[in-house]
Amino acid sequence: MTKPGSLIDQLAGDLQPVKPVARRLGAGALLWLGLSAIYVMLATALMGPLRPGAFDQLLAHPRFLLECSLGVLALVILAQAAFRSAVPGGLSRRWVFIAAGLTLAWLLNYPFGLISPALEPSMLGKRPHCYLETLILALPPAMAAVYWQHRLFPLRPLQSAAAAGLAAGMIPALYMQVACMYAPGHILMWHILPGALVAILTPLALLGVFWCKQQPTG
Amino acid sequence: MECMPGTDEPDYSADEARWSLLMASAQAGNEADYRQLLTELSDMVSRYLMSRLGGYDFTDDCAQEILIAVHEARHTYDPRRKFRPWLFAIIRHKSIDAIRRQQARKENEARHALDSDTGRANANLDESVTSGQLINALSPRHREAIKLTKILGFTTAEAAARLAISESAMKVRVHRAIASLRKLMEAEAL
Repeated sequence: MTKPGSLIDQLAGDLQPVKPVARRLGAGALLWLGLSAIYVMLATALMGPLRPGAFDQLLAHPRFLLECSLGVLALVILAQAAFRSAVPGGLSRRWVFIAAGLTLAWLLNYPFGLISPALEPSMLGKRPHCYLETLILALPPAMAAVYWQHRLFPLRPLQSAAAAGLAAGMIPALYMQVACMYAPGHILMWHILPGALVAILTPLALLGVFWCKQQPTG
Repeated sequence: MECMPGTDEPDYSADEARWSLLMASAQAGNEADYRQLLTELSDMVSRYLMSRLGGYDFTDDCAQEILIAVHEARHTYDPRRKFRPWLFAIIRHKSIDAIRRQQARKENEARHALDSDTGRANANLDESVTSGQLINALSPRHREAIKLTKILGFTTAEAAARLAISESAMKVRVHRAIASLRKLMEAEAL
């Protein structure tokens, strides 16, 4: 290693003005979430029709509206947490607790729904490959988030990638509330589970990228 | 729960506002302010590592890695926020990383330097190692595991044999010791 003095000379000599990105982190996370949501909505509409009357159900059934609103809120906080995790000291324990608590509060609606569903369970609007759609639609937003994270400075890149994957996976999982049939068991198994799987696939993909980069070229 | 030793170090929080201003100036491209910031951080980080982990060869390397990380991460510092949590997140991560890598390096060295085994085997653990406060704050079992594997450079198998435990138990003990170190550092930095 070089001596501290010469290292400092090197680093100071290498100094370029930078824009402090952390100032715009919250807005950046919301922008990512907004763009991802638009992409998921458009892609879902292209792949098949939404459940008939789904938006009317939002207005007619307050518990369904609450369930969806909790999901949106959980997504906003998850996205913020995913981006904050890529900044040193950016993700406090309080943020982790809030994100985990809200996500849990949202997801607990479905096991509870097995006993007392927010809507009458029905096959109406069932999409034949909703699990695959959830999984595939989540991947581009997850990759975009990981790319963005690496423009920051993730100290634990795999954990940050998992957080990004979870946030990305939950976007189509939540949208399937209105795009696919409503039945809590179906939602848990075919929407939430594939969405959560993205939280595992994203760090694995990142590991693959690291591995490829370590391979000697030529 | 391990208790933290009393600290008689200078109060770095007094420097926080200045460091924050210097970093904001560095983000705008002011080389002189940046040089001053790095010089101050270099001293502080070296003292911190020396007092918390002990004066080993890897702490010098670690201090330099921390400066490089500060340089690479400077765009992620938000001048509206406190400087210490940002800085100590980097210090904590790089320190734990250095301790982890130390074992791999020592194990590699051990394969190539069989001659030194006798000396190491005879070393008295407590006499030969002068640890920092954080390592001393670990429980005796965790401290022993860290000293043997990360500082004295025994392989996991050698350290396990020395403590008369299985190799997997030794690995678990080292893993838990590192987790305890991380918690101690987090508790201290907040």
